[in-house]
Amino acid sequence: MKKVNAGRDIVLELQKVSIGYNKAIYNNIDASAQKGQMIAVIGANGTGKSTLLKSLSGAIPYISGEISLLSKSIKEYKASQLAQKVSFVPAQSPRAQRFSLFDMLATGCYNRSNWLGSISYEDEILIRETLNKVALSSFENRDISTLSDGEFQRAAIARSLVQNSQIILLDEPTAFLDIENKITVTKLLQKITLEQNKTIIFSTHDLQQAIKICDKIWILGHSNFITGSPTSLIEKGAFDKIFKDSSLKFNSTLLTFV
Amino acid sequence: MPIDQVFAAITGGQTPSWVHNIIFSYRIPKAITALLAGASLSICGLQMQTLFKNPLADPFILGISSGAGLGVAIFIMGFSAFGISLSTSLLSNIGIVTAAWLGAFGVTLLILLVSQRLKDNISFLIFGIMIGSVTGAIISLIQYFSSSTDLKVFVMWTMGSFSGLSLSQIWIMFLIVTIGFALSIYNIKDLNTLLLGEAYARSLGVNLEATRRRILIATTLLAGSITAFCGPIGFIGIAVPHIARMIFKNANHKILLPATAIIGAALMIFADTVSQLPGQTQILPINTVSALIGVPVIMYIILKRKTV
Repeated sequence: MKKVNAGRDIVLELQKVSIGYNKAIYNNIDASAQKGQMIAVIGANGTGKSTLLKSLSGAIPYISGEISLLSKSIKEYKASQLAQKVSFVPAQSPRAQRFSLFDMLATGCYNRSNWLGSISYEDEILIRETLNKVALSSFENRDISTLSDGEFQRAAIARSLVQNSQIILLDEPTAFLDIENKITVTKLLQKITLEQNKTIIFSTHDLQQAIKICDKIWILGHSNFITGSPTSLIEKGAFDKIFKDSSLKFNSTLLTFV
Repeated sequence: MPIDQVFAAITGGQTPSWVHNIIFSYRIPKAITALLAGASLSICGLQMQTLFKNPLADPFILGISSGAGLGVAIFIMGFSAFGISLSTSLLSNIGIVTAAWLGAFGVTLLILLVSQRLKDNISFLIFGIMIGSVTGAIISLIQYFSSSTDLKVFVMWTMGSFSGLSLSQIWIMFLIVTIGFALSIYNIKDLNTLLLGEAYARSLGVNLEATRRRILIATTLLAGSITAFCGPIGFIGIAVPHIARMIFKNANHKILLPATAIIGAALMIFADTVSQLPGQTQILPINTVSALIGVPVIMYIILKRKTV
C-alpha cells in the first residue's frame, strides 16, 4: 500500500540521543518522524527497542541528547500534556478482572474527564465509534480479562485512539498474536496512519512485515543506528551491510527474522 | 436490656436512666466506631490491592498496622522509661494517636520505596511480612524491658476494642477519617487507570508519584487513626474488597469503593455484635472475631485463584 500524502511535518525529532536506565545502553540515535508515517523499530533482543519507546513516551528519562516533540523538548512537557500528544501501548499489560472494555476505554479520556473520571456524552459516542472501528463494538460490556490476545491488542489500540494523541507508540504489538490477528492488527495500524494522519512507531522482530508496511525503519544496529525508507535501505544495501559487517552475534539474531 | 425499652430510648420515649445511659454513652458510640473502622480499613485494603496489584495487600499484612503498634509501644513504654507519667488522659490519647500515625506513616513510606524495586507479588508479600516480624520483634524487646502496668495498657490496645472511646475522641476520629475518605474518593480516577498497570497509567498522563503519595496519605490517615483508636484489627482490609468484587462483579472503583465501604461497615457491626456475646457478660477482643470472619474469606480466595 503506497501512501499519497505521507506528510512532511516533522512531529518527533531525536538528536544524538542516548537511552537507558541510569546507564546508557544505546548511544547516538538521530532520527525523525513525520505526520502520517508508520515507523518500525528493529533490533536484536536487548538492544533497547522497548527502552527507546519508553523514552519517547516519557515513561523513563533519556540519558543525553535531545528528543523534541513538535519542536519542544519532551522534558518540558508535563505528564498530562505529553499524554495529549503521545500514547504508549505496552507489550503486555496486566488485565484486571471484572473491568469492562467500555470502562477501559473511558480511562483513555483521563485528561478530559472530571475529577471522578466521569466522561462527557461526546466521549461516550467517541468510544462507541472507536470500538466499531476496531471491530469490537459488541464487546462493550465484556470483562477485559476474558478477551483474547488479539482482541485485547485491538482494545489497547482503541484506547490510544480515544486518547487522541498525534503519536502512537506500540511495543511489539504483534509479537504474541497468531497470523490472522497479526494481519488484522497490522491493517488496523495502516488504516490509522492513512485515515487519521497519525504517526505510529512500533517495535517488531518481523523484518519482512516492517519492509512491507512501513514508511521508515529505525534499525538499532550492533555498531550504529541506521534509518531510512525500506527501499532506500535495500538499495543502499543496509541490510546486507549489517549482515556482513556486524559481529556474529548480531548476524545470527537478525538472520532469523528473514 | 429489653428490646422495647431500647426502642423507646431511641425514639425518645420514657425509659429508666440506666437504659438511656447504656445506649447513648456506650452502645451508639461503639457502633459508630465500628462502622467507621470497618469502612476505613476496607477501603484502605482496596486501595493497597489496586496500587500494588496484589490481592492480598492490606494495612495489616504489609506491616502498616504493626508500624502503628511499634509507635504506640515506643510511646507508652518509652515515656515511662524516661520517668514521664501519662496521667493526663488527654495527653496520653493524643500521644497514642500521634505515635500510631508516625509508625504507620514510616512503614508505608518504606513499603513505597521498596515496591518500586520488587517486581513480583510473592517477594513483595514476603517483604511486608518481614517488616511485620521486625516490628514485632522490636515491640517484644520493648515489652521485655517495660513495667507490667505499661505492658497491660499496650496488650489491651493490641487486642482491639471499639469501646471506651469518649464522644470527643469519636469526633476526632470522624474528622480524620472523613479527610481520608475524601482523599480516597479523589483517588478513584487514578485507581481505575492502575488496573491496567503502571506503564499504561503513565501513558494516560497519570502522575504516578503523586498518585502513590495520595494513596499513601489516605491509607495512613485511615488505617493509622483506626489502629490508634481501636487497636490493630486484621483481615477485614483484605477480605472486604474481595467480597465487594464478588457481589458487585465490577472492578470499576466508582462502584467498588463505596461498595467496599458499606460492606466493611456492615461486617464490622456484625463482628462487634458477635464479640458482645449476646446473653453473656464477657466481651471478646474484636481482633479474634475479625480474624474468624476474615481468614476463611482469604483462604477461599487463595483456593479459588490459581495464581496469587
